[in-house]
Parts: sequence; structure tokens; C-alpha cells
Amino acid sequence: MTPVERPLSPHLQIYKPQLTSVLSITHRATGLALSVGILFLIWFLAAAAWSDGAFALAREFWGSWLGLFCLFGWSFSLFYHLLNGIRHLAWDSGWGFELKTAYLTGWVVVAGSIALTLVAWIAGFCLRGAS
Amino acid sequence: MSGASVHHWRNQRLSALALIPLTLWFVAAMLGHLGEDRAQFTAWLSQPVPLVLTAVLVLAVLYHMALGLVVVIEDYVTGPKCQSLAISVVRKSALALAVIALVALAKIGFGS
Repeated sequence: MTPVERPLSPHLQIYKPQLTSVLSITHRATGLALSVGILFLIWFLAAAAWSDGAFALAREFWGSWLGLFCLFGWSFSLFYHLLNGIRHLAWDSGWGFELKTAYLTGWVVVAGSIALTLVAWIAGFCLRGAS
Repeated sequence: MSGASVHHWRNQRLSALALIPLTLWFVAAMLGHLGEDRAQFTAWLSQPVPLVLTAVLVLAVLYHMALGLVVVIEDYVTGPKCQSLAISVVRKSALALAVIALVALAKIGFGS
């Protein structure tokens, strides 16, 4: 039997990136980032449970530039995954599939997650400054 | 579609719903306790409401995480042996992390 040359569907790189596909992969990427984040949260809880030394070390990490950078990334990831997750739940209920609506809710997720991240950090700096 | 897939799909969404209020509470709570030393932080966390909410949050996150990571593995890890190994590592790690977190919270809640 001679092999039949069937057409293949184009690879991902062929397609122009669209808001909808970029947001979809970002949902997964932020989910992965948050999986690493929960490790650090559990480390922090364990440090609080076990000893002053471990807790001081954890605090030192969170206060460092690397710690703050990670916290910033995790806070954005959390708000993004939260808002886009709500978008997914709306889809599951059958709402928001029209192209126009999908784009609109997509931009709301982008703007909303940036806004919530900024609000949380401004609140953090104010509260930290006040204490 | 098998019963397990439906179960997985539904539980991913139920845990997501539970995590909406839990994560918002957690972010607000953490912002309210910035810069505290260990005694102050554990004094707050050992109260019944924060203790129970944190325990539920961590368990819901780990469960939601394991369900999500399994889907990622199914998509990207090829080869049935590698795939089932990776899935079992994820499930066992999530379980181990849940135990560590619950022991830590119990220690904070009921004194060391």
C-alpha cells in the first residue's frame, strides 16, 4: 500500500496571535506560577508554626527584591487567574461566547487584573507605612 | 465520556467557585498583617475563623492545582508511562503538601 500524503494542519506559529488565544495560554501560565506560589505559602505557614529563626528567614525573603518581585508576579497571576476563571465559569454557564463579548470580557480581564494588582500594592505600601 | 472525566470537570469548577471568596479574603487578610513578627502573626492566625479559612483555602488550592496540573500533563507529557508517572507525582506531592500545611496550622492553632 502506498502511503497517502494527507494535508497537515498548520503549526501554532503560523497563526497570528489573537487576544483570545494569548489570554487562554496566560491562564495556564498563571496557574503554573501559582502552583509554585502555594509552595512558598506553605513554607511560610510552616515557618510560622515551627520557629522564630525560620519565620525571620521567610520574612527576610519576602522583604528582599527577589521576594518582592516574586510576590508581584504572584499577585498579578492570582488576580488574572481569578478574573479569567470567572470568565471561564460564565462560558460554562453558556454566556459570553459571541466573538464581540469574548473580546470585551478579555479586555476587562486584562484591565481588571492590572488594576487589582496596583490597588493591592498601593494598599500594601500604605498599610506598611502606617504600621 | 467516562464518569471520571465528568467528575474532574465538575470538581475543577466547584473548587474554582469556592476559591473566589477565599482568595479575596486571603489577600485582604495578608495586607492587614504585613510586617508582623511571628508572635503577632500566629496570635491572629490561631483564632478559629482565620485558622479554618486558611486551612480550607490551602486544601482548595492544592486540590484545584492538582486537577489543573493533571490536564497540563495530559496535554504536554507524551508517552503513557511518563504521563502516568507525572500524574502520580503531582497527586502525591499535593497530598504531602496538604499534610504539611494542616500540621503547621494545627501547631499554630493548638499551641506547640
